[in-house]
Amino acid sequence: MSAFFGPLDCDRRVLPRQQTRVAAFLISAHGALARQYAFTLPAKLEFAWQTEINAQVFRETEIVSLLLRATSWVPDLTLGYLAASWETAWLPAPVEAIPDPSLAMAAGLATLAHAVHAGIRPAALLPVDANADDPFVMALRRIEFESGRQLQAQILLLKGENLAPFRDAVSAILERRHTEIGRLWGDALTGVGITTVPAE
Amino acid sequence: MPFLTHGSYRIRYELDGPANAPTYVLVNGLTQYAELWAAYRDALVAREFRVATFDLLGQGASDKPALFIRQDDQVAALHLLIGELGDGPLFLSGISFGGLIALRYAIEYGQRLAGLVPMSCFAELPPQLLLLGNALRTGLILGGTSYLQDLLLPMNVSDQWLKPVLDKLDSVKRQGWLVNDVYALQNLMESFLDFEPLTPRLPSITAPTMILNGEFDFLTPRALHETLRVQIPNSSLVIIPHAYHAFTLEKPALTADLLARFARDVLAGNWQGNKAVWIAPEEAGGALAPFPGGYDHLRAIPTQGMAS
Repeated sequence: MSAFFGPLDCDRRVLPRQQTRVAAFLISAHGALARQYAFTLPAKLEFAWQTEINAQVFRETEIVSLLLRATSWVPDLTLGYLAASWETAWLPAPVEAIPDPSLAMAAGLATLAHAVHAGIRPAALLPVDANADDPFVMALRRIEFESGRQLQAQILLLKGENLAPFRDAVSAILERRHTEIGRLWGDALTGVGITTVPAE
Repeated sequence: MPFLTHGSYRIRYELDGPANAPTYVLVNGLTQYAELWAAYRDALVAREFRVATFDLLGQGASDKPALFIRQDDQVAALHLLIGELGDGPLFLSGISFGGLIALRYAIEYGQRLAGLVPMSCFAELPPQLLLLGNALRTGLILGGTSYLQDLLLPMNVSDQWLKPVLDKLDSVKRQGWLVNDVYALQNLMESFLDFEPLTPRLPSITAPTMILNGEFDFLTPRALHETLRVQIPNSSLVIIPHAYHAFTLEKPALTADLLARFARDVLAGNWQGNKAVWIAPEEAGGALAPFPGGYDHLRAIPTQGMAS
């Protein structure tokens, strides 16, 4: 068990089995975010901050499209079971402590997006000698970089004045989201020989 | 890998050296992790010190709170670690952000300390440092951890250190990039958004204090260390020649030697701060020289007249 992809093939590419598992997880997560942001995107923007929802929809869609095309797919018989548990975890979960339903929904979505964008670092799985010209390698680097940028919208909302009265509740839910999604990510990787637990 | 528990968070720490020896606790700066003190562990343990290192909340293998990291929590985590170390003589040193946490600890729990060594440190955020911090945070937000490292490296170390690694900077940065997360670094940087200057509280630090400042540190320049020297009663300022902000990385043998000598002098009752200004030797083991009388140590050109 290693903290990185490997062994690489003779062209220093990530093995298709590992590509498939990681890409499936990321497509599931970012696809869910794309769908949920798309549902909250109004046909006509009324506030400046809504421009960010538009950006999130298309960045998430771009990530899904990129992975579909950059991954060397192979059959993975456990994906059916895993995908079911992943999709369950992404289900919308409004923050119950917030009385305003739309704000509660927005905060819930932001906790999910924060956990995905901040907690999932696919590029950190790449070993030093991974082939930089490989599209899958480039895709993972791009996704991690873009996630860091997208994350700012979630940080602004979750740390913002609107949620200040609910800070403890939001923080607790966010920590839970991080733990839950980190566990799903860890389980997905363990099945293809990668560990997210630091060596003793 | 042992951990302490602070609330719902875990703090990774490491102890080396004999349990009954005088102890040095070393506190990381931003983007750092405990392994970066390895040379200090070796040097100080060889000189019969115990050494405690740890990862700050939000860094390394310690937990990374998702939304907020308060500096008070860092002090509480440090207090927790120090509580594990028994009642023997304790010396506390920190670099940059870690130096600030060490200062805060010394203000809160100064009676526990035999000595304090703030390095590349500050007690307030004057406009230059505030704006540099804001720019670094923006760099992190827009360009990620790697870009923050790109900004910090040339600011913090010398050409002599950089030149041999110029064609392998990615490998130099890799471990720091791996163990640090954008959101956690951002939380650490945003812990300054409600920062109140420590300057009015510095006179309450009674522990012997040796302030270390790199000669060419322009991230936290001499004036910021001068505030510490003037305000902390039993202090002296030691200028590290040819050094930048991250001299702990660049000059570990010299810095570890200075730490050991300071602790030995304090324990032997020979330490006198006197708010003096010293120049460190170029190499470990050399003699410290007093800053030349009649010249202003805050200036980069030899200007007569000491700063008050």
